[in-house]
Amino acid sequence: MKKLIFLAAAIFAIAAFVVFNYISPYVFNKTSPNEALVVGSTVENFKLVDTNGAEKSLNDLKGKNGAILVFVSAQCPIVKQYNERISKFAADFAAKGVNVIGINSNHTESLEWVKSHAAENYKFPVLIDKGNVLADKLGANVTPEIFYVNEKNVLVYHGAIDNSRGGDNITENYLRDAVEANLSGKPVAKKTANAFGCSIKRV
Amino acid sequence: MNTKKIYSDERKQRNNFLSPRSPFFSLVISVFCLSLFFLFACQSQTQTSNKTTPAAKTETVSNLPKVTQIDAPGLKNLLKPNGRPLLINFWATWCGPCREEFPDLVKIGTDYKGKIDLITVSLDELSEINGDVPKFLAQMKSESPAYLLKTPDEGAAIGVVSKDWQGGLPFTILFNAQGETIYSKQGKFKTDVLVAAIEKILTVQSQRSSETKYQ
Repeated sequence: MKKLIFLAAAIFAIAAFVVFNYISPYVFNKTSPNEALVVGSTVENFKLVDTNGAEKSLNDLKGKNGAILVFVSAQCPIVKQYNERISKFAADFAAKGVNVIGINSNHTESLEWVKSHAAENYKFPVLIDKGNVLADKLGANVTPEIFYVNEKNVLVYHGAIDNSRGGDNITENYLRDAVEANLSGKPVAKKTANAFGCSIKRV
Repeated sequence: MNTKKIYSDERKQRNNFLSPRSPFFSLVISVFCLSLFFLFACQSQTQTSNKTTPAAKTETVSNLPKVTQIDAPGLKNLLKPNGRPLLINFWATWCGPCREEFPDLVKIGTDYKGKIDLITVSLDELSEINGDVPKFLAQMKSESPAYLLKTPDEGAAIGVVSKDWQGGLPFTILFNAQGETIYSKQGKFKTDVLVAAIEKILTVQSQRSSETKYQ
């Protein structure tokens, strides 16, 4: 009987060894990034405060043909490189009924900082995502990063604005192509593209 | 990790464990002694790795380290381990968290010199390849091979590195010698978790080599 108990204990020890040494590293050491909302999903209406402290919702701010949520930062150099292009497409798309909404989810950036950066660079509202709740919900990870939704808040495109952070070598205009295809009733060829930039500084 | 090491040792001794002649009392005593031994060994190791100052090196700011420019195909080649586990850190001088974690990265490079390969890849502008990038590396006393990625499409290059990389910096990835991803992290890595992952690879590697030796 003792031998049986001993054998069972040995088998348990071996099993535990296998789990701890071979399985757990693959399960626990690989950190999973925030999963992004899948294109085709609906973005729930949300309410956040703007840089003046006024509460605004997605449905309040979107245009008749949808909205482009752009996650920004007041200090990220990549955002700075993109600011001119962001302002340009904001003006172009607003004329087509797609409004741009800036989102700042970085807990490291003060309201004053965000406010002055927005005033200097953008004509569209920038909302403060306190506690990165919206960033978590959408799975936003970097700045700048785009979530383009249609008039029904269905996600049409997610990711990079284009494929050249400096703007000097753009060969793919991901966002512009997606918006134009969608507005003309054509399928969007590239629905996602990796965004490169600064990590969103989460709480 | 202590528990894992204890279990590791148990496996080595499983033949004795299974022997009906082995007295249960002796077994308990030996496991207890081994536990104490490994607990002590790991504690001293943690204490060593907690030191933040890298080992003394002769690098000075006037002798700036070489930073090699690579493109996307060059990056793809870098991802292949050369017989040893490979740790790669993607960073930029403008990235605050990258700068913050760098001393720990250098420390890991020093602690595991000869056991793993560490390389750093900067995503700064090319104009910084002889400027802020090597200056920062010198300031950090980094001796690891250093590269600067210049590609027209960062998004595409990111996709080549890992599907877990969401495009933010820093990004750290650890491959075992077989090229399998064991650890990856966007944002600042946790030193203890990364060190544990390295230790794990080295332990498995040494078990594999001893098994091969006795076959």
